[in-house]
Amino acid sequence: MLRDSSRSRVLFAVLVAAALVLMVLDSRPGNDAVTSLARAGGEIAFVPASAGVGVFAEPAGRFYDGLRKSHESAARIAELETANAELRAELDSTRIDEHRSEQLDELLHLSGLGGYEIVPAQSVTRTTAHGYAHTATLDAGTESGIRKDMTVLNGSGLVGRIVEAGPRTSTVKLATDVNSSVGARLEGTRKIGSITGGSVLGGPEADMTLELFDMEAPIEKGDRVVTLGSHEGAPFVPGVPIGTVDDVQVAPGALSRIARITPAVDFAALDMVGVVVKGPAEDPRDSVLPPKPDPKGDQ
Amino acid sequence: MRALVTLFLVTVTVLVQATVVNRLPFEWGPGPDLVLAAVVAVALTTGPAAAAACGFAAGLAMDVLPPAEHPMGRYTLVLCVAAYLISLLHSNAGLGGGSGARVSRWAAVGVTAVASVGVGLGYALVGMIMGDAHITVSAVASNVGIGTLLTTLFGPLALLPILWARTLLAEDEYATIQGPTSVGGW
Repeated sequence: MLRDSSRSRVLFAVLVAAALVLMVLDSRPGNDAVTSLARAGGEIAFVPASAGVGVFAEPAGRFYDGLRKSHESAARIAELETANAELRAELDSTRIDEHRSEQLDELLHLSGLGGYEIVPAQSVTRTTAHGYAHTATLDAGTESGIRKDMTVLNGSGLVGRIVEAGPRTSTVKLATDVNSSVGARLEGTRKIGSITGGSVLGGPEADMTLELFDMEAPIEKGDRVVTLGSHEGAPFVPGVPIGTVDDVQVAPGALSRIARITPAVDFAALDMVGVVVKGPAEDPRDSVLPPKPDPKGDQ
Repeated sequence: MRALVTLFLVTVTVLVQATVVNRLPFEWGPGPDLVLAAVVAVALTTGPAAAAACGFAAGLAMDVLPPAEHPMGRYTLVLCVAAYLISLLHSNAGLGGGSGARVSRWAAVGVTAVASVGVGLGYALVGMIMGDAHITVSAVASNVGIGTLLTTLFGPLALLPILWARTLLAEDEYATIQGPTSVGGW
């Protein structure tokens, strides 16, 4: 019934295959050269067009806003929305199952120590379809105030950062993901480095690897690492515990020191997490770290 | 000439969709899909291969333009398949006015509405297959419903000019004369 020339069918098949290839390329973690280039090209067309529309959109938008609400009611609405969000957050936290309340307590304790303003969320997925990426999905999104590039933590320490935020879900790239890189600072000595998920080239097999930029810095097993903090707290707020130095590798001729890190967070049992929607007013330094265990007690 | 005008109109539609329609504060979710309407207009006035190419190009443009919240290629695939099927049904089963005949406006609007449902569901299906967490039954139902309604209402803004331009320019040439499609193939 549906007749078509074979040439036309071949073209159609080729186009569908091309679309599928694009989807596969773009769905994989990391920046693919083809799709990045395409997106960059898209922005070249989009930005001037959008700016042109913006010239007309701003007065139109103001007019629309003015029609919709007067200035006083806008302030009142914002106030009520804030109050509502706070009440809802309280309600949500009371609804959480009892066996999670302990985790939430820890989370609130940690966020209280650091002065982080957090939105509680539950990690609802942990495994990706192909297993390439270490990502988790949270059951909270932009409706809860979560945006891209926000820090995610739980009661023990750093979980990761938001890479994609939908209305009701958001995706966290875990700190153990191979593409994840976190600015880190050693407890006490304040030496800085970066923590990469997985192993780095020439480093030991690990969940996380610390690369310390200062070759002379004293570092030994048991040293703890916190986040360095990024510019304006995105993607990482300062002072969140990341993990403990497990093993220091001394490689002759290397440009940095490599250390294996044991994560502070148990990524296999990720449940309650908090998304830092507002960073601390000042760097909490090492105050978020739990008290150091007495070495004599271990012996 | 016809191809150039079509290219220009579809490009303008894509840019308007990305910069104007997507900018509007729709509190209920989806807005009208003018690009789909433009692709329907092209698909009803050309052969399956050209329709598929047009759908592919328009979908790819929408994927490439910001915001990049879904994997590139998702809309490309759906729109390419939709355009191909519309054109195939048009030339074989007389969808939207019959082969060789002038496409009636109302029929074109009807095809747009049906295509909007199909594309909405297809897009959701691809997302579901790809594990998009936003795809839920209620979200798909409301988005497809609202999207179809808005596309049917506002889609003619893109559909009718393109349809008009293509029919007008076709009268000077021989583009509406469609030879019998060859039976061979797969």
